[in-house]
Amino acid sequence: MRKRSGTDGSLLASLPWTLAALSFSLAPHVQYLPGWIPVAFLACAAGRWYIEKTRRRLPPAWLRVVLALSGFIGVFASYESVSGVGPGSALLAVMAALKLLETRQRRDQFVLLFISVFLIMASLLREQYIWSLPFLLAGLMLTMTAWLRMSISDEISIRDSFRTGGRLLLYATPLTLAMWIFFPRIATPFWSVPIDNGGVSSGLSDTMSPGDISSLTLSDAVAFRVNFASNAPPPSQLYWRGLVLPHFNGRAWSGNDPSIDLRAQQEIQVSGNPVGYQVTLEPTRQQWVFALDIPYQWSLERTFMGPQQQLMSVQPIDRRVAYEAVSYPSYSTNVNLSRMARSWYLRLPDDDSNPRTVELATQMRLSADSDQTFIEGVLNMFREQEFFYTLEPPALGNNAMDRFLFETRRGFCEHYASAFAVMMRAAGVPSRIVLGYQGGEMNRMGDYMIVRQSDAHAWTEVWLAGQGWRRVDPTAAVAPERIEAGMSAARFGEAGARWGLTAPARWLYSLGLTWDALNAKWNGWILGYGPENQGRFMQWLGIDDPDWRKMALTLLSVVLVLITAISFLLMRRYRPPKKDEAAILYRKFIRKVSVRPRTGETPPEYAARIMTLNAAPVDEVNTITERYLNARYGPPDARSLEALQRAVKNLSGSSKSPIRAL
Amino acid sequence: MDAVGARPAGDKRFRWPRFPRVASAIGARAERWARKRQGEDRPSTRLRSRRIYILPTGVGAVFALTTFAMLLGSMNYNNNLSFLLTFLLASLGLVAMHQCQRNLVDLEVSFAGADPVFAGQSGEFRIAVTNHSRHRRYNLQLYADAVPSDIHDLGPGDSRVFKLAVPTTRRGYAHLQRYGIRTLFPFELFRAWAWLHMDLQCLVYPKPADEAPPPPPSRAAHGHRQHDARGEEDFAGFRRFHDGDSPRHVAWKAYARSGELLSKQFAGADTSSQWFEFERVDAVDTEARLSILTRWIVDAEQTRRDFGLRIPGVEIRPSHGDGHRHRCLEALATFGFTERVKAAA
Repeated sequence: MRKRSGTDGSLLASLPWTLAALSFSLAPHVQYLPGWIPVAFLACAAGRWYIEKTRRRLPPAWLRVVLALSGFIGVFASYESVSGVGPGSALLAVMAALKLLETRQRRDQFVLLFISVFLIMASLLREQYIWSLPFLLAGLMLTMTAWLRMSISDEISIRDSFRTGGRLLLYATPLTLAMWIFFPRIATPFWSVPIDNGGVSSGLSDTMSPGDISSLTLSDAVAFRVNFASNAPPPSQLYWRGLVLPHFNGRAWSGNDPSIDLRAQQEIQVSGNPVGYQVTLEPTRQQWVFALDIPYQWSLERTFMGPQQQLMSVQPIDRRVAYEAVSYPSYSTNVNLSRMARSWYLRLPDDDSNPRTVELATQMRLSADSDQTFIEGVLNMFREQEFFYTLEPPALGNNAMDRFLFETRRGFCEHYASAFAVMMRAAGVPSRIVLGYQGGEMNRMGDYMIVRQSDAHAWTEVWLAGQGWRRVDPTAAVAPERIEAGMSAARFGEAGARWGLTAPARWLYSLGLTWDALNAKWNGWILGYGPENQGRFMQWLGIDDPDWRKMALTLLSVVLVLITAISFLLMRRYRPPKKDEAAILYRKFIRKVSVRPRTGETPPEYAARIMTLNAAPVDEVNTITERYLNARYGPPDARSLEALQRAVKNLSGSSKSPIRAL
Repeated sequence: MDAVGARPAGDKRFRWPRFPRVASAIGARAERWARKRQGEDRPSTRLRSRRIYILPTGVGAVFALTTFAMLLGSMNYNNNLSFLLTFLLASLGLVAMHQCQRNLVDLEVSFAGADPVFAGQSGEFRIAVTNHSRHRRYNLQLYADAVPSDIHDLGPGDSRVFKLAVPTTRRGYAHLQRYGIRTLFPFELFRAWAWLHMDLQCLVYPKPADEAPPPPPSRAAHGHRQHDARGEEDFAGFRRFHDGDSPRHVAWKAYARSGELLSKQFAGADTSSQWFEFERVDAVDTEARLSILTRWIVDAEQTRRDFGLRIPGVEIRPSHGDGHRHRCLEALATFGFTERVKAAA
């Protein structure tokens, strides 16, 4: 058994950089990891540095084994699984910490640097923001520097290591881009491993129970972005249909599980002009797919229309998807509704909940001469009586609709939609709730529309004989500005007025829009570079009908050309300088000065003579002479030659005049 | 070939299993092929790119596997940023390969001599490496068989002598027919090397005998016993300086005056005669005799006594000094060798 000896300080040059690279790569994981892991890593890193600095001994083997076991048990206890990005990055961090404690020789740091690269990769799987690109480059640069520090033998300045790393990265960049562009992309994943993105998805909820939540948190997060083929429809038509809730249990509205209805599309009768657009939907982890009322065509794979003309994907949407869609703003659906369906859309709970609402609806229907006038009457009630639109309504408790209509009279879209639908059902008009988004904000920077989570909306549909389902938005009666101006614009105005910061706020606001436009481009061009974009790009390059074989061939030839270029560059770099390069430059200088040197005259003598003749500026002649001597007789050095070249080039003199014989 | 830098003894790290016989057979074949292809090198040789070979190291293999795994991961998640990272790593690997090879190209490697050693010591071959380019060459190392030199950088225009220690066992000439220069720069993913065939020689004196009988007594030519510190007292005149004359005998004052190097001669210097004779050594074996003679010469020179050497075919008249010692030891080292070998030396 070998006697444990103290560390010898041989890691002092490279260890700080290895630690820096590891910490940098670990940083974006910290918010997702259980707190003890970063702490343990930092403790190990600091401990290892202290050990190296003071030439102490590494911890004994039994302690390392105990630490390793407890680390792995800890990860397993925190995650109850070992697959996926979350546990994976946790394991990597623990492994790095443990490996640090047994790193004795310089070359042992290889393992740490591989871990650093893996950590960078794991963070890219988690999030792909614009700043992920500089993070990637900086992380790689640090890792490369640490790698170079590890393998050097002589004392080399850190600047030299950085420059070497930067130079190699520079050589590698065109090669990387070529590979990135031409490497054939495939559409379907091989296997699915969960990626833990940390946060809760911010999609719509599957049920709606007004009054349970007493305040609506508005998230500025982007739900989806829309590029319209031509002009965007007016705000009053911007109803993005999501899911439909036909069941009411006295308190909450709920929908069916997603199911396909092949007849649903046939029930749509359209008129007027279609609207074509492309939606880029952020991941929701739900199946709902959003489209303008009423969707008619859509390009998303494995996406179907449900019985109430809602769109849904077969699988939850766990990545950003883009799809084209065509909608018809004027339409009618299900003009003939079966008796069974009608009674289904009329159902109210049997327990006599919300009795006053039911009574009010029955009375109003009796005094109206048609369903149409009844609907107008209810909307007028919302419009003319003291109903208020607020995002922070009071909680409602039991018989929520009664309390809302007769007591609090404050609420947002869910309250009005729910109250309206209940009244319709009580009066014998089939009705249902539609959840989705309303409005959207045009971003002039990128000429697209942003629909945010704060644009989430609930409205109703009622069935009228001979007309089919009609959209009625009771919120529009209470707060028409919510519909006309859109949520974000309304809030922007309000906030600006409240803080009295209109100008900076406006500036910030437009900065935000610019940033969002940049993000949209990033999403579309960089993150969304998939099989379709690649195919389009190849066709643009003139490669018809690109299949993977043609792509692989293109990739190979481009890479070969670039490698040859790199090889050539490196060859030039290490080619010995021509011996008389300095002399050639000096002759150029003589030509410029136009004074013929005498036989046997040394450069300093020659310079002195030029000065007495006033043939050229004194300073420049001195500089050139000094640099010439340095370049010709000093150690060969690219810089001294370059300096001479610069000086000769900058020499202001009569270069055209013939040489004077003196 | 082992990794650069000998590992400290007792290093118990995991090592990949090796197949020494297969590897050495392949290695020998490659070396023969290279020898045939390159021919004999001149004592000073520029390394052209054609003769620089390159192979990935173990770390390089792990790196390639890692990159491949990352490629699979990127394809699985269709993640364009991790594609970017993967391709950056792959490109860096390719760039590192070219950088590694170019790190050796156009270096000038020349033989800078080897001092004689006694058998059993390591012969030290000095190899000068010159970087004529304007950029730094990193992590250069010379090696002969399994024995590596130190690792050093060469700045622009720098020249540096690397020392190759080759173990010797027998007197005569230690040969270094092939040695190599290699580098792992930049990331130790690849090892580039060049073989040089110069047939370098290092003279190996016989090993001084550990236990030798006392040398024969000094005999003065004129019958009286030579006293030890003789010749330092009776100044007899000057003669021109010869290699091997002690610097203490140089007439420095005369040198300062005339610029001519003269050695002081002392009375009786030519009359001394402590003769070390092969025939009179009390041993049977030739090598043992040579060994004993070597011991006597080493000791005599240390006590600054004059001595002469008489072995079959060679007689060196009594003298002293480094040059004399070398002449005598060389005669012992090459004793029994054919004239042809001596001429080649």
